[in-house]
Amino acid sequence: MTAPPSVTSAVRVEALAVRGLVKTFGGVRALDGANLTVATGTIHGLVGQNGAGKSTLIKIIAGIYRPDAGVITIRGRPVDHLTPARVTEHGIHMIHQDRLLVPTFTVAEALFLGQEPRRGALPVIDRRALRSRAREALHRIFDIDLSPDALVGELTTAQQQIVQITRALLNQPAMLVLDEPTAALVRRDAERLLATLLRLRDQGLTILYISHYLAEIERLCDQVTVLRNGVDVGTVDPRQTSTTGLISMMIARDVGDMFPRRKAGAGAPALIAQALSQQDAFSDISLSVRHGEIVGLTGLVGSGAKELARCLFGVTTPDQGTISVDGQTLRPGDPAAAVAAGVAMVPEDRRGHGVALRLSVRENTTLAGLKRFSPFGLLNRKAEHRETDRLIRALAIRTPDGNSPVRDLSGGNQQKVVLAKWLSCQSSVFVLDEPTVGVDIGAKVEIYRLIADLAVDGAAILLVSSDLMELSGMADRILVMYRGRIAAELLSRETDADTLMRFVTTGRGGEADADAA
Amino acid sequence: MPRRRHRTGWLRMGSLAAFTVVFVGFAIAAPGFLVVGNIANVVDQSAILGVLAFGMTVVIIGGGGDVITGGIDLSLAGNLGLSAAVFAVLSQSGSGDVLAVVAALASGVAVGFVNAFAVVRLRILPLLATLAVMNICAGVELVLTHNMVVQARSSLLSRLAGDGPFGLPVLAYLLLAIAFVLVLAVQCSPTGLRLYAVGGHREAARAAGLAVERHVGGSYLVSGLCGGIGGVFSAALLNGSTPGSGEMLLSIVVAALLGSVFSRRLVPTIAGTLLAVLFIGFLINGFQLINVSSYWVSGVEGVLILFVVGTTSLVRREMS
Repeated sequence: MTAPPSVTSAVRVEALAVRGLVKTFGGVRALDGANLTVATGTIHGLVGQNGAGKSTLIKIIAGIYRPDAGVITIRGRPVDHLTPARVTEHGIHMIHQDRLLVPTFTVAEALFLGQEPRRGALPVIDRRALRSRAREALHRIFDIDLSPDALVGELTTAQQQIVQITRALLNQPAMLVLDEPTAALVRRDAERLLATLLRLRDQGLTILYISHYLAEIERLCDQVTVLRNGVDVGTVDPRQTSTTGLISMMIARDVGDMFPRRKAGAGAPALIAQALSQQDAFSDISLSVRHGEIVGLTGLVGSGAKELARCLFGVTTPDQGTISVDGQTLRPGDPAAAVAAGVAMVPEDRRGHGVALRLSVRENTTLAGLKRFSPFGLLNRKAEHRETDRLIRALAIRTPDGNSPVRDLSGGNQQKVVLAKWLSCQSSVFVLDEPTVGVDIGAKVEIYRLIADLAVDGAAILLVSSDLMELSGMADRILVMYRGRIAAELLSRETDADTLMRFVTTGRGGEADADAA
Repeated sequence: MPRRRHRTGWLRMGSLAAFTVVFVGFAIAAPGFLVVGNIANVVDQSAILGVLAFGMTVVIIGGGGDVITGGIDLSLAGNLGLSAAVFAVLSQSGSGDVLAVVAALASGVAVGFVNAFAVVRLRILPLLATLAVMNICAGVELVLTHNMVVQARSSLLSRLAGDGPFGLPVLAYLLLAIAFVLVLAVQCSPTGLRLYAVGGHREAARAAGLAVERHVGGSYLVSGLCGGIGGVFSAALLNGSTPGSGEMLLSIVVAALLGSVFSRRLVPTIAGTLLAVLFIGFLINGFQLINVSSYWVSGVEGVLILFVVGTTSLVRREMS
């Protein structure tokens, strides 16, 4: 790791500066006076836990959100009313996490869409120039020979990423903003991307780099700003700050009494997965969750944790391996079989998969277990009402009555309805995917209590979460995934937040530097 | 992912093979099938379907290939009927050819404008928006014609319905000429490429700074114009306006969808649509020559729709 050639950032004008940025979403302060200064010609890192405000900050810089308060200056000049098009005019190009490319286009078309070379003054695309320019650009910027005629939809993720970055660089932008560019890449491709970014920096490009991977930040960045709870808690030189130092800046320490006390359960194994593999997602995963136990599962985007949860519930089919519940092997890729075996899944995207927004609280709670209320094919409304009222009370769902549409409830209460739905099926294994995302603190505490009660009553719970505090507080054991494998199994009472964070962001327990080598 | 390339290859080769088999089969079974006069005749009779299917193709390109939320213009057949009626009524009441043609084309574009407004401004699903506009077209046509045949004769119509150079039908030449212009506009121009981007990945197009709404709206205007041209062609072939244009709708959808199997990217193309239109034309023609009832054609078209939509969505699903 060599030092960058003379970064004289103090002298130069900053490429981008934001001051006192505030953004509120429905009462929740996503940004609470955040500052960020990116010096010209440097790579500036931006890190923070999920919910720290990173994506909000990026979207404001990209012109997608408008801040409630605060000032943005680009090369010393204040700008306001940013739109995505204006941001581009200012020479700032964004590389978003989801690759925005047309799958049916060739590489050359994708690169030059919107600025196609023409045959003289005719409105006809010069295909030959298109191809040769595409080949030249890919070669110049990434030093690769990617066929300009290959279809984008047939490229690997890494190749698509290369196309997207090359496209952004065609117009000689002053600054590039990359949001988790390596999350979906395998190690080798990620390395190549980092090397390219360093080279571009040395050629004068300014880069704002958002990543969860601290090893990358240390290798790449000249400065790194840490966000926590919507505020920048500090900007440091990552080469002179230890991983531990960065991590402790990222973690809030006021845990308090949010989490109910509970003895670690140790019943018979309920959910067992053996040697599960799924291409491009995870490989050779074995785990077991006992009755009465809460097991945490976590990992960065791209680590395979999300994919594993979906696979366990039967939403996707594993390429290899078996899943069994209470000793009974499940048919892979069949959610109905999983439900029948007593597995409940609370998905992260509850609006997409968890609740039917227009149906009432009652209809939602009894949806998954309708058979119990319809012994002769007709619904027994009375039994349905009784059960719903019982659950509304038990879960403290704040709703006028069981007939209100779920749409009218707050996020936390919607989440409780999802839980109620599975409680009414009397499930014994729960896969909870980010159960408290977007939920206010009061509802959070209630959901935690509910989960703890379930475990005390003998349910086996797999808690998939990226909120490390939540995992430490709730889970007995925590499985950390890193690039498709289980990197560590940690006992929460023996693991402090810093260690957990280090496993999540580097895949190993010691100082993270080894990872970059 | 090479697997997908494999499958699209199979699909393309298979479709071309099917085309060839049908062609060769009829050539053997029906003497007179492979005669220049007959082929020209098929191209001639495909002119109306072809022009309308081009319009449909442009709309599907700009709206995307999703069967439910993607671009589709169900009003095309109704538009044809309405434009033909406008032409015939004006012509019968003594207007000149120029006025009648301009009015017919204008009514086609007007229908396209209503579609564009409903889809882009009111944000109604194209499937529903154009279904409603189809009904509007049919209604206005009834008002104009009282559901009767409106005779129209003019020098332009008889020239359109007649033969051109080398004794081949004028409409056949016109179909190929329109195809040529559209291939240039859709397949070769920057605007065409952008239209594909808008239909292929709307967010990506927006991120590339394209005016998404303008492209989508434009595609319905082009489609409307195609409906108007089809109306004039129809008036020429049928000596006026005849009720019942709505029956063409299924064929238009088939042609535009079937055309996409001829492209490596599984997207609709003008050339692919032309091939598909001629395929359907030869199918009908061959059936007639070997004395199979043309009633079968409708069933065959239905099967083709299921086949195309089924296979392309299967391959697309594998891709994602």
